Amino acid sequence: MPQSLLIISRQAPWAGPSAREALDIALAGGAFDLPLAMLFLDDGVFQLLPEQQPTAVQQKDLTANLQALPMFGVEALYVAERSLQERGLQTHPMNLPVQMLDDSALTALIDRYDQVITL
Amino acid sequence: MNHLTVHDQTVALDKDGYLLNLADWSETVAESLAQREGIELSAEHWEILQLARGFYDEFQLSPANRPLIKYVASQLGPDKGNSLHLNRLFNGAPAKLAAKLAGLPKPTNCL
Amino acid sequence: MATLHVLSHSPFTDSRLSSCLRLLGPDDGLLLCGDATYALQPGSAQCLALELMPATISLFALDEDLAARALKTPTRVQVVDYPGFVELSCRFAKVNSWL
Repeated sequence: MPQSLLIISRQAPWAGPSAREALDIALAGGAFDLPLAMLFLDDGVFQLLPEQQPTAVQQKDLTANLQALPMFGVEALYVAERSLQERGLQTHPMNLPVQMLDDSALTALIDRYDQVITL
Repeated sequence: MNHLTVHDQTVALDKDGYLLNLADWSETVAESLAQREGIELSAEHWEILQLARGFYDEFQLSPANRPLIKYVASQLGPDKGNSLHLNRLFNGAPAKLAAKLAGLPKPTNCL
Repeated sequence: MATLHVLSHSPFTDSRLSSCLRLLGPDDGLLLCGDATYALQPGSAQCLALELMPATISLFALDEDLAARALKTPTRVQVVDYPGFVELSCRFAKVNSWL
């Protein structure tokens, strides 16, 4: 049984490579059938907003790539409720079917996975 | 530099034979690319190539094997969305070859 | 499945420490290295937050990073060297580096 992996993505999408790197790990792991989950935390929740236009800053569309996660077998997708609240986004539409978790559910989530990567 | 000549059109390829400019793709180009791989494109090939291009349009990336199978299954049903069928059509390397013939970048999450 | 959380960024310029503190499990450990050791600056809110963590949570800091920054350690901090860092990484079920 391969080790399960939780990827915590906590950076905004366009300012640096972290969000892209977290997604690449998830897509590669999914392509190889690893049991993995992705959690959007802190500024990482900004990746989930619809209708972003990255071509305006000469970037590839990370938000389109994110939509492929379920196709790559990554269906355990979570977002931190508090991170949404802090940014006024708790009722905002999201571009992925993410499950919202409070702090204690997040602690339990991290506990459940064999390995954790935070980017 | 790798080139492919199709009628009077010269198409630039990368070292692995993928199109350098995705806009160069046409059905004629696909047929020439397939010929280099020893494949004659049938209707069964074409429907997969169309789906691979649809996948790229939707997600802005080339599908690896598993997502390609899943995507084909979701659109055409499990009779076509399975590794046996796709391996048979694309010489055992469906993601790489379907991306190449569909004019997409080489999939990054494949061995 | 206790986790060792490793922080290396200054808590005064980003939110890693505060997010980590909210997600800590009762048996988890926290290791401060690099600029994250500034969290031990006496009189800061960050230092107070660390002192107020439940006693079951172990707090570690890397010796050479403390020395380089002339930081004194509160009594609950266990100072470790690099071999100690390695030993901790093996002692916990997993390591979560907040990169």
